[in-house]
Amino acid sequence: MTLFFLGLGLILAGGLAAARSGALFRLLVGAGSAVGLVPAFSVLAGGSPRQATIPAHVPGGPWIIGIDLLSAWFLLIVFGAGAASALYGVTYLRRGHEPSRAPLEHLLLSFLLVSLALVVTAAAAVPFLMAWELMAVWAYLLLVYESEKLEVRRAGLLYLVVTHTATLALFALFALWGMAASDLTFGALAAAAPALPGQGAAVLALALFAFGLKAGMVPLHFWLPDAHAAAPSHVSAVFSGIMIKTGIYGLLRVLLLLGGAPAWWGWTVLSLGVVSGVLGVLWALAQHDIKRLLAYHSVENIGIILLGIGAGTLGLAYHYPVVALLGFAGAVLHTLNHALFKSLLFLGAGALVQAASTRDIERLGGLARRMPLTWMAFLAGSVAIVGLPPLNGFVSEWVTFQALLAGGLLDGPIRLQSLAVAGLALIGALALACFAKVCGIVFLGQPRMPDAWSADEPGAGMLAPLYALVLACAVIGLVPDLAVGAAASVGASFTVVGGEPAEHLAAAARVAGWISVAVVLLMALVALGRSRLRARRRPRQPTWRCGYAWAEPRMQYSASSFAAPLIAAYRPVAGVRVERSATSFRSHPADLVVAGGVRPLWRGLRWAVERLRPIQQGRLALYVSYVVATVILLLLVAI
Amino acid sequence: MSAMSFASLALVLLLAPLLPGVATRTRALLTGRRGAPALQLYSDLAKLWRKGVVYSTTTTWIFRLAPVAVLVTALLAACLLPLDGREAVVSFSGDLIAFAALLALGRFALVLAGLDTGSSFEGMGASREVTFAAFAEPALFLCFIALVRASGSLSLAGMLGGPLADAWSSAAPSLLMVGAALFAVLLAESSRVPVDDPATHLELTMIHEVIVLDHSGPDLALILYGSALKLALFGALLVGVLIPRAHLAPAAALALLAAGLVAVAALVGVVESVMARLRLDRVPQFLVAASALAFFAVVLLLW
Repeated sequence: MTLFFLGLGLILAGGLAAARSGALFRLLVGAGSAVGLVPAFSVLAGGSPRQATIPAHVPGGPWIIGIDLLSAWFLLIVFGAGAASALYGVTYLRRGHEPSRAPLEHLLLSFLLVSLALVVTAAAAVPFLMAWELMAVWAYLLLVYESEKLEVRRAGLLYLVVTHTATLALFALFALWGMAASDLTFGALAAAAPALPGQGAAVLALALFAFGLKAGMVPLHFWLPDAHAAAPSHVSAVFSGIMIKTGIYGLLRVLLLLGGAPAWWGWTVLSLGVVSGVLGVLWALAQHDIKRLLAYHSVENIGIILLGIGAGTLGLAYHYPVVALLGFAGAVLHTLNHALFKSLLFLGAGALVQAASTRDIERLGGLARRMPLTWMAFLAGSVAIVGLPPLNGFVSEWVTFQALLAGGLLDGPIRLQSLAVAGLALIGALALACFAKVCGIVFLGQPRMPDAWSADEPGAGMLAPLYALVLACAVIGLVPDLAVGAAASVGASFTVVGGEPAEHLAAAARVAGWISVAVVLLMALVALGRSRLRARRRPRQPTWRCGYAWAEPRMQYSASSFAAPLIAAYRPVAGVRVERSATSFRSHPADLVVAGGVRPLWRGLRWAVERLRPIQQGRLALYVSYVVATVILLLLVAI
Repeated sequence: MSAMSFASLALVLLLAPLLPGVATRTRALLTGRRGAPALQLYSDLAKLWRKGVVYSTTTTWIFRLAPVAVLVTALLAACLLPLDGREAVVSFSGDLIAFAALLALGRFALVLAGLDTGSSFEGMGASREVTFAAFAEPALFLCFIALVRASGSLSLAGMLGGPLADAWSSAAPSLLMVGAALFAVLLAESSRVPVDDPATHLELTMIHEVIVLDHSGPDLALILYGSALKLALFGALLVGVLIPRAHLAPAAALALLAAGLVAVAALVGVVESVMARLRLDRVPQFLVAASALAFFAVVLLLW
């Protein structure tokens, strides 16, 4: 644990040093993350779990910080993906509009990383809630970096309300659970799990609400696209890559402490996974703002992770430990993979947004020529997120597919979970369409508007973290047995199962890795063979224009048109407004949950709050008397 | 991994360019024309391979990579199928997902190459390609669920191998429905009528043909061969479901595979000669119908 705390200290020191120099911030945060990763790797490699107990003289028992398999796995995400984003931020903010504000942003980011690390290692409710709340506050302050913009302030306010709603639900959760337990340490809560009424139904429902809100699952995702689009890009990467994963961590931790969940909860999570996945990617397809588009893809990927958690829970509920292992292994592996490739994509998007000064992909085009290195990194991220070999997204989707299909081999209600496979296939195909759109419209073809003409490579300070993430994606994709084996051991900690299924999975993953290696090698070989014919290459010509005499960049297919057939097919759920005229075609996305659910709810809430206005007079004496009255009331109740 | 699996792989690789020819020839005969020889694609490929290649000034390296990706992914997908009805060259638990993902990788590369040219026609084709794929993919996976359930195995070799023959005695209706759904997926994936018409001459109405409009020479040869191979793969999948060959002698299994592939190609030709292609916005309905068929097969097998 010393190394873990040393890592946190280094990261904090880095944040404080950011005012002095960006290089020092880079050095200290990089070193701190590397040091913090050591205990995480050693626990994952089979070392014994570590724990540090801090005697706290407040209710709720001692404060315990511990690293077990699940915590170690999430520490990989926090320290790995977090460091990449933090390092990238130095150059990114220096090249931004207001470099003078950058040191504060770096400091806040180091606070956020430390809070995130504490959230996933806290082993008692009180430090967990404290870290959780600190995380929420730092995230808010990071988000409103460009606070002069109205949309940023709005997104920040929405985020603040939502995150506190989640915190409130967590207070209720731990209060309810704590009533049955001797104190609020996770060990005591786990011991009290059998005493909870209805197999912990209330706790599970609250957990699904609070952690689902944080993770951004449909229909609780409505705050996410605004918040992730408004923040600076490297902060968006931390939000999408890491922070929403604390919701996933929370769900997994509650499951681990309860020792499973009833079947109805598993089915709910599985259905929410399909709904989040399909709707998330459809809404992403309708977006033309690249950062909002990526944010909706986070909703989609949370859906895929929930599919794994759902399958795992059902495996536990119906006593099929192998299905449980596959499900949880798929979920945690996809969580790590998504952290890697989503950070990569957000950082890549940041580079191109900064270079072209626009987030509207309809204005871009042809950036592959201006920014070849950014393009290759972004392409790698796209291949990974679509779940294609030879990169890491394929590996975790492969595990999740198997978890769902394995249910189909069994008897009893669990066999029905195999139907979710069709949903996962649909999600994959729609994601392919969406990233074909992004890559094709932004990077290929010709520049559509002058914005894209002056774009330029972002420089080594931003490219190096980008390629570190590409490397991580490639390693997990090409040599998957290590990552799959580790994920399987995390998955096995949820259930009682021998080492055999995990070994079987890792062995299959090794063969799947050969396929990925073969893709790369064979493509190189065929390309080499073809290049021997190169002598007969004819001079370049303009693109074939189907007989028309001239063509200009505006005649290229647009993102709206590209997505139109799919959006038309799913119109009732996609929620898109279309503008057509003789010379133009544009589609405008609208989120049906926001329009149909959140706004009316918000109006109702405002109406109700207006009725409370008479008790808010702004006089201090009145508020003091409220406090006194409340305390007296509580004392009366307590007697 | 056995000698037989390699032999059947070689057979399919050799036979693949014959299949589009057989389909076209059948269509020509049924519509009262003589038509091109069935071996036409072989000579086309040989000619293209010797030709020079012209690249557009707009295109980048991804345009040159796409033909290679199309070929390589189809080739590796072929290695995962148990072509002789018993064994695949490579087989592992969950390889059916790799099969679909490999073909998706080829599609992703091809679509990006289309967008790389900056031509609105190729953009149109790319858009249609990903749209119809998004409807074909769930149908394919529903077929896979049915086969997994019927055979009790999570790998293609197990799904199409021995246990399937036993499943025919207990779940024939489901397997027939899976066969029909797979045939619809085959038509969509290999761009045949009623989803796409390889013989159309107007860019506006094309799908697959229009994406490859700017490819020429050896690049076009790679893509044409890759597409033919894809048709052969889905044909082999269909033959594997409808004619379980695990209990036959190896030579008979191979002969049946070849005959089955030619029959599937002829069936494609028959479909082309008796119906017109669907209007573009009707194609999703066709594929949703295929998904529904596969869904009912799954439901029958689950209960």
